[in-house]
Amino acid sequence: MKLPPVIARHARQFGTFAVFVVLCAVISVLTPHFFTVTNLLNVAQQTVINALIAVGLTYVIISGGIDLSVGSILAFAGVVMAHALRLGWPVPLAILAGVGVGAGCGLVNGLLISYGRLPPFIATLGMMSVARGGALLATDGRPVSGFGESFRWLATGEIAGVPVPVLIMVLVYAAAHLVLQRTKFGRYTYAIGGNEEASLLSGVPVRLYKTGIYVVGGGLAALGAVLLTARLNSAQPIAGINYELDAIAATVIGGTSLMGGQGSVIGTLIGALIMGVLRNGLNLLGVSSFIQQVVIGVVIIAAVLLDTFFKQSKR
Amino acid sequence: MKKLLPLVAAAAVLAGCGKKAETTAGAPATPGKPVVALVVKTLNHPFFIDMQRGAEEAAKAAGVELIVQAAEREIDVERQMQIIENLIQRKVNALVVAPSGSREIVPVVVKANQAGIPVLVVDTRVDAPALQAAGGKTATFIGSDNYEGGKLAGEFMLQKMGGQARIAILEGIPGHETGDQRLRGFRDALKGSPGMVVVASQPANWERDQGYNVFQNILQAHPDVNAMFAANDLMALGALEAIAAAGKTGQITVIGFDALEEARAAVKKGTMAGTVAQDPAQMGRVGVEWAARVLKGETPPADIAVPIQFVK
Repeated sequence: MKLPPVIARHARQFGTFAVFVVLCAVISVLTPHFFTVTNLLNVAQQTVINALIAVGLTYVIISGGIDLSVGSILAFAGVVMAHALRLGWPVPLAILAGVGVGAGCGLVNGLLISYGRLPPFIATLGMMSVARGGALLATDGRPVSGFGESFRWLATGEIAGVPVPVLIMVLVYAAAHLVLQRTKFGRYTYAIGGNEEASLLSGVPVRLYKTGIYVVGGGLAALGAVLLTARLNSAQPIAGINYELDAIAATVIGGTSLMGGQGSVIGTLIGALIMGVLRNGLNLLGVSSFIQQVVIGVVIIAAVLLDTFFKQSKR
Repeated sequence: MKKLLPLVAAAAVLAGCGKKAETTAGAPATPGKPVVALVVKTLNHPFFIDMQRGAEEAAKAAGVELIVQAAEREIDVERQMQIIENLIQRKVNALVVAPSGSREIVPVVVKANQAGIPVLVVDTRVDAPALQAAGGKTATFIGSDNYEGGKLAGEFMLQKMGGQARIAILEGIPGHETGDQRLRGFRDALKGSPGMVVVASQPANWERDQGYNVFQNILQAHPDVNAMFAANDLMALGALEAIAAAGKTGQITVIGFDALEEARAAVKKGTMAGTVAQDPAQMGRVGVEWAARVLKGETPPADIAVPIQFVK
């Protein structure tokens, strides 16, 4: 049987989407508390932080890299912004400071990788520790908490019934999708991940763009920090530990190849939603947290198996 | 068809979990039986496993259904928030919560208030000013004070060392309030005793292997250390191995916190001087008992103390 071209081109995303739909259907059958408007908005809000980190990571992974430092960057950016807010800075300026710190950490990552020729794994492993230490230094190890209503609105507010964080997530994903598909930055991201040598020879300023990709990754992790801090009304220097692994999982479930050159942000969004729905559903069902970890692991493996099966059958 | 295999597998796993949940952990088997959820910090620490055991006993006695949930990592405040949000969606009748973060828990307490679900707090206090500022309320606090425990440890060390000691401290994960309070209590007990000198205070992140390594390093830098306080027993037990490896067993007074089985055994053997015992099973028991009583319309006292002991 031949698939229609549109579906064939996006078959991988359809596969991920199918997993998502089946998952929702199964949970809906098992518990009446899942498929309600309030719970679905609940899931969406719980997915936001992971989704924001993962979208930046998707760029990094498509370019053939990896970023292990995003969880630590989230903590560092969060506490810097929190300090600024406590000092009475206007909200937009404090957010800018936080996102600036995140992008700055990303810049250092990018420079080390592009110009210092460090493997991304090593450079970001180092940054993971540096940014965590920075967050602890900046706070003396204590959480920074208690912010004004105008800042908390980022987590608690609604526009036309949709929670603000969910709106921000949708906007970021729309922008990230357009940039990846329609701009030079996006095309070069794929090209560098597909074949860095060939990109260089065909005149792509590889170093510049690679650096830019890590800046985007750091900045988006910091945006995650903004929303996490508003949600908890507190910025913790120990926030975000292991979040990089959740984000990598969402990206991989969404069909982005760790080899680089392939992937999509829409897939990542579905991947993040799959993880959110799984955790929510397992909570609603009262499944023990040990079994939850097993199930999440099984789903990650199953999703990547699906990918492999698909690639083999295409050949 | 081959392509669908993982899909089917995932669905089957989920369906399997659902069924299991209904019979063991989950949904009310008896209609009308109230559901109490106990949300602890993690279930991979003996402390919270004991708390779960106490809660299960009380649930059986009080005739309520009990759900126990926790984040994978003790410090994951956001994940704990998600779990509680999900339990609110599931419409449990009462929540018994051991907060992973005393301020970070506040927004979700407010959500539970809005849903009309009473929140009973165990083990770690909710930050009172933050709760008040957010307009939230909790039914009661059931626990013992980490600060008092640290103070007990400090007072014991002061007495045991006769006011003269070179002390090393193993801290928990920086920024973790339980550890901060224990250390503050410990240090406050030593105030006014100039002979009690803290020569090193380093984090070993609650972990046994890090307790070993960090204490080994401390011994390199300060061979004259003759007393040690660890903010939990796992780190103290790790340090005991480092002490043994350095051939100093018996020369260093080691005090831990939590009174784990192994630590109690070490105290009996004399390799450890003492450890602070909280009673997590009692916290779980009292938490669920009071949750059941609150559902019957009773009002608990604002503060229910669970006794703390020093095991020596």
